[in-house]
Amino acid sequence: MRALFFVFLPYLCTGIFLLGIGVKLSIWLRTPVPLRIVTTPAPKTTLGVIWRFLGDLFWFPSLFKSDKLLWGAGLLFHLALWIVLLRHLRYFVYPMPAWVEGIQTLGLYAGYVIPFPVAFLLARRLLQNPLLYVSILGDYFALFLLLTITVSGILQQLFFRSYVIDVKDTILGLIHFQPRVPTVHWLFILHLISVLVLLTYFPFSKLLHAGGLLLSPTRYQKANFEKRLINPWDYPVAYSPENLSTPEKYAQALKETEKGEGK
Amino acid sequence: MRGVIPAPSIKIRASEHLRCYPAKAKDMVKIDLPKEPVKNWREVMLKKMAEVLDKYRSVRLFMDICVKCGACADKCQFFLGTGDPKNMPVARADLFRKVYKRYFTLGGRVFGKSNEAEELNESVLRDWMTYFYQCSECRRCSIFCPYGIDTAEITMAAREIMAAAGIATKYVTEVVAKVYDTGNNLGIGPEAWKYNCQFLEEDVKDVDGVEIKFPVDEIGADVLLVPPSADNFANTNTFVGYAKMFHAAGISWTTSTYCNEGGNFGLFLNYTNLKKINNRILEAARQLRVKKIYWGE
Repeated sequence: MRALFFVFLPYLCTGIFLLGIGVKLSIWLRTPVPLRIVTTPAPKTTLGVIWRFLGDLFWFPSLFKSDKLLWGAGLLFHLALWIVLLRHLRYFVYPMPAWVEGIQTLGLYAGYVIPFPVAFLLARRLLQNPLLYVSILGDYFALFLLLTITVSGILQQLFFRSYVIDVKDTILGLIHFQPRVPTVHWLFILHLISVLVLLTYFPFSKLLHAGGLLLSPTRYQKANFEKRLINPWDYPVAYSPENLSTPEKYAQALKETEKGEGK
Repeated sequence: MRGVIPAPSIKIRASEHLRCYPAKAKDMVKIDLPKEPVKNWREVMLKKMAEVLDKYRSVRLFMDICVKCGACADKCQFFLGTGDPKNMPVARADLFRKVYKRYFTLGGRVFGKSNEAEELNESVLRDWMTYFYQCSECRRCSIFCPYGIDTAEITMAAREIMAAAGIATKYVTEVVAKVYDTGNNLGIGPEAWKYNCQFLEEDVKDVDGVEIKFPVDEIGADVLLVPPSADNFANTNTFVGYAKMFHAAGISWTTSTYCNEGGNFGLFLNYTNLKKINNRILEAARQLRVKKIYWGE
């Protein structure tokens, strides 16, 4: 039974995650971008686009414009999540770099913070009528998973500690394809399982927004309208019933119109 | 305008009754579309949908990455005006998304309705026809979306798909057909265009005492001006403005009776007509052998 949690599922779920992301990315990348649809105000240079993405990734200016509370909660959650993920590197790399040790305390506090914005996002969905209307099961499921992961993590940190050497040993074993089955607190199993479910769910859900943003034509395109954008699937169209592209033909057509009803 | 427009409280189906008139057969024939809704509309629409999803990364990506944060909800004038929740950009896109999920994603096929996937049935089609024509493609929502999701792209895709099955509105198809007849959206014929220009010449002479030409179909002019056709008889002040500007700058210019429309209603219908109408500008420029095109709307 424990082998299922510590050997089979980790490989299966990580496999689904990587494969799913790969498939999605390849579908997105091979789908052409026929028109320039960049949202204004748009950068004119590549450097400008990079700057815009830095904003989109770490400051959320569009949300700042639209909803300050959502912006605050969203920013808090994502920044804390990044710090927590980086802190978790200590369980995945050996030897551990000094900077990972350096962010240990900050990472712990960031972990304590996460449930608050997540709870806010959940409350918002349930209490605001327009949001309740558009929310689907998947939206609640993602928030529920995040809550389970963070709360189980915090409880382990504060009260029910797993023997950290065993944990790291297990993870490194998985990475080096020499899986081991440790004896740890059930909270760790819960923590692990919910992460694995999240990984599996990721490529099939809205969680794809993480990478999708970088491929969004409205965000990565430039406002260099002087450069022609070629539509790769453009096709010739049959133009006017009688092609009037020479002056003589057109003058003739005009004469006929004048003779006729004159429209 | 300053200040905040409060988001309206939700009124389910508040604007459902506001539907467009269906397209007329005589217009549909002129613009290369089936003259009436085809019998096997579901198959035709799904086939077109697959094609659109393969042609526009925007549509496919926007279907996948929306997190339904609701930032766009109170930014759409159609939602602010009607309170109908299906006029929130996210909900409008969901009309498309549920069909996309049902036929084009694993999650939708397996989990069905619990993952918001839905068959393309008559009631979904009715919603498409209603709410995708209650979007003006202004793209305001895309400015507030953290991922730049542009509902106009989705609206255009949905209209393209419906049009392929012969489902369109009278307003849009009539205007597009008119362009092929007369060169402009308003149906101003070549003679009327010329007379209006002569009238404006006289008008300017009376008011300003200056003789300013409003040239029409002049072969070999430097500039082809493609104004919105309404400038020729409704918003004539702008038209007079162009003429005065060209006169003062000493630029030889002309308008064309083959293409005298700066607006393109193909945008509201499908790619083929959009391109055909745009191409008329080039055709007119070649007919009149101009060096430059000034084009605006």
